[in-house]
Amino acid sequence: MNRRITARFFAEMLLAACAACALSPAAADDLLAPEQAFRFSARLIEPGLVELRYRIADGYYMYRDKFRFTAIPRSVGLGEARFPPGKIKDDEFFGRVETYRGELVIRLAVKSAGGFTLKAVSQGCADVGVCYLPLTQTARLVPARSSGEAVRSEGNASNLILRLRDAAPSR
Amino acid sequence: MKRAARIALLVLAVVSALAAGFWLHTWNRGGAPFSGNVARLMAASLPDMEGKSQALAQWRGKVMVVNFWATWCPPCLKEIPEFVRMQEKLGDQGLQFVGIAVDNPAKVREFAVKYRMNYPVLIGEMDAIELARVAGNELGGLPFTVILDREGRLIGTELGGLNEQKLTGIIQPAM
Repeated sequence: MNRRITARFFAEMLLAACAACALSPAAADDLLAPEQAFRFSARLIEPGLVELRYRIADGYYMYRDKFRFTAIPRSVGLGEARFPPGKIKDDEFFGRVETYRGELVIRLAVKSAGGFTLKAVSQGCADVGVCYLPLTQTARLVPARSSGEAVRSEGNASNLILRLRDAAPSR
Repeated sequence: MKRAARIALLVLAVVSALAAGFWLHTWNRGGAPFSGNVARLMAASLPDMEGKSQALAQWRGKVMVVNFWATWCPPCLKEIPEFVRMQEKLGDQGLQFVGIAVDNPAKVREFAVKYRMNYPVLIGEMDAIELARVAGNELGGLPFTVILDREGRLIGTELGGLNEQKLTGIIQPAM
């Protein structure tokens, strides 16, 4: 066999193999890790106001009533979180539930003189029919001193699961 | 090489690649046959809905379907009525469902009554999550189901919802 033809033949075989992979339907096996499905970041946009951002991957959604925010130390005062209106989903088990997809920006008033850690607990699911355990993500926030520039801190998924009882709201 | 032969080989390659892809896919869906640590799952004890400790090993000798779920997880709730039906139908033949709820006991009890769950439900938090993880649930997703034969060997795992047809296909050889 001619060497060039052999090379081309193998290239074609490789292509065929790739096509076979692509044909395999997306399933629960291809799920993202929760911190990838629900990317979290937070920053102080002005003194006393935190903006939390979730970038929710396509095919995933989050439940509004499952968000819980706390500050460490506890002495830091957190106001009520302000959510944008979500999408009302008529769930066959829970009735009307509010969910978010795409990008979610939440604002949270905060009373703190110094830096603190914001702990965000959330819960979401994938459309393929898998729900993640409550996810805890944290961001370290430090108020800007003189320049007026807010310090941004990327969230990191620390401990995947906090105490479930903390996260599960009483219904 | 002749053009016809090359085309024939190419078709063969496509067909075998498709078959390999399909096999790999179904194999994945069934879970890697012996990945995860079933021994640890079988050695575990968790409290039931009355708070009494129950060892998973007590159901050894039956075909076990261990289902991790939670009341806050819609896809979990969807499959439970099918499990109840299958337990009713095949319990006599040695099929045993065991639910492990990653949830708080009061909600689990309420749900179990409402859905007339006819198989044992154990309750766990971090310990249950850890058991699911060692059994192959790396992502911490629910529902997650582990299926064992009568000798306690892993014959399937499933992340995401199961239905009667699919589960029957997995348990049939072991029944």
